Amino acid sequence: MEAVQYLATIQAYTGIGIGLIIGLGAAGACIGIGIMCASFLEGAARQPEMIPALQGKVFLLLGLIDASFIIGVGLAMMFAFANPLLSVVPH
Amino acid sequence: MENIKTAQVYKQMLKWQLIATISVAVIAYILAESMGVVSGEHVAVSALAGGMSAVLGGLAGAMIARNGDKKNNAGSILITMLKAEAVKILVIVLLLFLTFKLYNEHLVPIALILGLAASAILSGAAFIGLDKK
Repeated sequence: MEAVQYLATIQAYTGIGIGLIIGLGAAGACIGIGIMCASFLEGAARQPEMIPALQGKVFLLLGLIDASFIIGVGLAMMFAFANPLLSVVPH
Repeated sequence: MENIKTAQVYKQMLKWQLIATISVAVIAYILAESMGVVSGEHVAVSALAGGMSAVLGGLAGAMIARNGDKKNNAGSILITMLKAEAVKILVIVLLLFLTFKLYNEHLVPIALILGLAASAILSGAAFIGLDKK
């Protein structure tokens, strides 16, 4: 019974952690993308001839900004499907 | 105005992501074989699975973003880019989910995360190639 309680506690806290990892990561990525898109629009409005040159860099930066979020999603999936913390509970 | 830079960005990103993924897989294989704790093949396959999910996600996003090359309007370009990013993240999440579900028995999660992180972060190194040109 005690082991089951430990498992339930670990899974509950892991669930909270997964939510925080994905939620805070998504919030950070959204703020970064918002700032970058605003700068792109401002630059495009000032110098429309620069749009093609900026387009590729915008795509590259989108990938960089999202990198931390994607790593967070990978970590969250690891905790969801192969939680290493559960191994401390004796069978 | 035709954008000739976007195709170069995709190629550079893909090149750096593949280099990062294969490097991590080889290093992880060598380390695992020398330590003898886990099978080197499973570590290498896990690292490859993580890295390739980021590579394939980037490819799917690039296909969507390529449609934006014909547009000159900044707003339309941004919407296309955001669509491409959404597709990229969905593909990566789907591939990671499939990896965790189908390769669950022999998966080494740390290697998978390392491969994914290296591939995702080093895609930004494409700036080096762009700056040279």
